[in-house]
Amino acid sequence: MAAIATQALLKKLDGLDRVPTLSVVLEPLLKYLEQPVDSLEVHKVVDLIAQDKSLTAQCLHLANSPLFGRWQDVDTIRGAVVALGMRRMRDIAMSCCVLKLWPGQQVNINPVVFWEHSMGCALVSRQFAQKIGMPNHEKAYLAALLHDVGIIAALWVFPSEFCTAFDVARSQRVPLHEAELSTLGFTHCESGRLLAERWHFNTELTAAIAGHHDAEIVGDHRGIVALVALSDLLCRMSGMGYGYEERRQVNFLEEPAFAVLVQECPSLEKFDWARFTFEMEAYVEEVHRLVSLLYRTQ
Amino acid sequence: MTSMPAIQAQTNGSTRCPDPYIYRLRDLIYQMAGIFQPDNKLRSLEERCQGRMLELGVKTLRDYFECLTIKPLRQAELVKLLNEITIGETCFFRNRPQLDALHNLVLPQIIEGRSKMALRHLRFWSAGCSTGEEPYTLAMILSDNAAGLLKGWTFEVLATDLNERSLEHAESAVYGDYSVRNVTPHLRQKYFVAQGDRLQVNALIKAKVSFSRLNLVDHARMNSIKNMDVIFCCNLLIYFDLVSKRQVVQEFHNNLLPHGYLFLGHSESLYGVTDDFRLMHLPLATAYVKTNKSKPLDR
Repeated sequence: MAAIATQALLKKLDGLDRVPTLSVVLEPLLKYLEQPVDSLEVHKVVDLIAQDKSLTAQCLHLANSPLFGRWQDVDTIRGAVVALGMRRMRDIAMSCCVLKLWPGQQVNINPVVFWEHSMGCALVSRQFAQKIGMPNHEKAYLAALLHDVGIIAALWVFPSEFCTAFDVARSQRVPLHEAELSTLGFTHCESGRLLAERWHFNTELTAAIAGHHDAEIVGDHRGIVALVALSDLLCRMSGMGYGYEERRQVNFLEEPAFAVLVQECPSLEKFDWARFTFEMEAYVEEVHRLVSLLYRTQ
Repeated sequence: MTSMPAIQAQTNGSTRCPDPYIYRLRDLIYQMAGIFQPDNKLRSLEERCQGRMLELGVKTLRDYFECLTIKPLRQAELVKLLNEITIGETCFFRNRPQLDALHNLVLPQIIEGRSKMALRHLRFWSAGCSTGEEPYTLAMILSDNAAGLLKGWTFEVLATDLNERSLEHAESAVYGDYSVRNVTPHLRQKYFVAQGDRLQVNALIKAKVSFSRLNLVDHARMNSIKNMDVIFCCNLLIYFDLVSKRQVVQEFHNNLLPHGYLFLGHSESLYGVTDDFRLMHLPLATAYVKTNKSKPLDR
């Protein structure tokens, strides 16, 4: 795409006026949950979630999923907060709220598939971070859940151009960001960065959103960015991509993000990629079930 | 060390707290045999274990775990359990994502890599071919590309197994409905002929596959196999102890051409076995590619 057209699209993005804000419930909830865990009160969290009926129902679906570690049913938000803890409730609430951001009009990317990718990536990142002993591994879930919000921004602001890029990616079976670069002149990392700044996301989240396809050149928060980059790639190779198979072979040890992450987590050197990949099979099945369920509860 | 489950096992749509020994059994099987049972297969694993427990008169998974770790016949019992886990897996076009990756990615890459070589001949090997479904499948995939990607190329498929009865069945090339359940009507028409109420692989495909009895730890015989482009060895290495497994994998390394591919069974891994192959992720599948460096394993 000509540089002038790229500039025009980026200018459109700069306003981002059409993109909805995060749920009125979620913003205060997230703000509250950012406080130190020992100062939080369960009833306040319960009250905040209970303001939104569909959010309440969706949170309960997630809280009862084996993906979130439960094996005894919880039927109240209070029960879920007590059983799963504040941090996990934040992850759950955020997972439910981002579903509401999808634009209403018909587009060629299936929202269910998109959210399966986002949620799958979040769960894989969380597990991956734990396995390699990453410091602050609890931050991995949210960063990965939101890593592709740039796609949402693109769908709101220039849906037709983005859908063309997506068609190119799907028909040529190439990674989406490569097709975006060749057709739009920039990727969802750039649109995501603008949205993240508009929503005042912290620098870590913003870095993961902006840098997950260029982990090797990111300055700050290199570990979390590389972690999200590898999790994203693993999901795309394991049946949790954007609804099409990328025709490529990947050696994770040769990925630029691997070189970055291994500096932060030396245990990654001996990581059993095969086993982790086989573990994904269970994720794919459960994420598929869960996202379908959440969509019906919207 | 027992690893934490990625997700919890599910039963009939509702969750329950699983017996922690199922995770220990899963890890033991992976450590000993190199085949992994993901969380969504744990219920099936438990059922297979229960079948064995019934036969042994063992009541709990904990006791069964001991049968596999400290009892004198533990190795024999592991083999019996592995037989249960992999039972019924043989059929034509068994692992579709793996075969799609072979067709869409690996084959074009091999052809491109070898296009400058004078000899335009591909060699595939089905090691542990059992009753022949796998090598015939490979021959069908290659034949299907004869007019396109493989125009001007010839190919052969070597198929080996230790079991003579399996080889006899393979050479007869006659199969029932269960074996051909994944074969498309188009391929049935193209590569099979009716044999009563069964199907027989046609002469064109049969001519491409040569069967032979082979023990993979027979160094002299293994050493004579050269210039392979691709080896399929599915659900066979799991029965070997670590020493034998390393020996066989080293032989495979020697059997393959530079950058040749080794395909294993679903959820089978070479982790901790060798560094002579690198793991490649393909869409919904994995494979191992021969590396040309060889260094001692330090795990």
